[in-house]
Amino acid sequence: MQSTAKVQSNEANWPPEEGEIISFKSSSGVETVVLTEVRWGLVWRDFILEDGRVIPEHRISGCPQPQVWRNIDEVSDYEREECEERLLAMAGARLDPRTRDQPFWAELNQYLAFTYLRFKQTGRKLQDTGR
Amino acid sequence: MSGSDQESEAQQVWRALSEAGLVEIRVDEFAERIKEVKRVVVVRLRELLDFDAGSKERESVASSLGTLKGLELKVLENTPKAPDPSGM
Repeated sequence: MQSTAKVQSNEANWPPEEGEIISFKSSSGVETVVLTEVRWGLVWRDFILEDGRVIPEHRISGCPQPQVWRNIDEVSDYEREECEERLLAMAGARLDPRTRDQPFWAELNQYLAFTYLRFKQTGRKLQDTGR
Repeated sequence: MSGSDQESEAQQVWRALSEAGLVEIRVDEFAERIKEVKRVVVVRLRELLDFDAGSKERESVASSLGTLKGLELKVLENTPKAPDPSGM
């Protein structure tokens, strides 16, 4: 079936659209699957697959380089707080973030990356301006 | 910002996150990564307290710290315990 799959790799058509077939690197090799949704997280885009898995953009075949990142300053307090609430709810429901490519794993990855960039950058700015 | 500036900024973000091990966290490293990010947040909170700056930002930083602490506890709670050799 893979031979007939129209694999997305054209930078001009990036990101692929819902319903398109994409391929990506998984722990078991390269997989070809149907894309359900492309969604911006706090830092990068996540690709939601038909089976519910969430794959970060950089693992999708054909992802243009350098990858597009979100400017963390454009993430509103509301969006961050919503993300925090979702994470705490998933943790409270005893979901395990160590299940790779699942929503909790994906969202916690993005939240930690976002929080790191947010405070590393502001700390640097403070030092750069001589305080 | 020019295209090359954008490119170098994107590369800087990638490098910063890669070096911090935060691009794709290994499944057995979540607790450790949360601790490291918490450390960065605590440094920022101290800076704000030292300079008596931005009470709104202080609240926001403290709130993020609380979230990280809550997540850390849950992740640790869900981590399978190593078998206790004395109980064998």
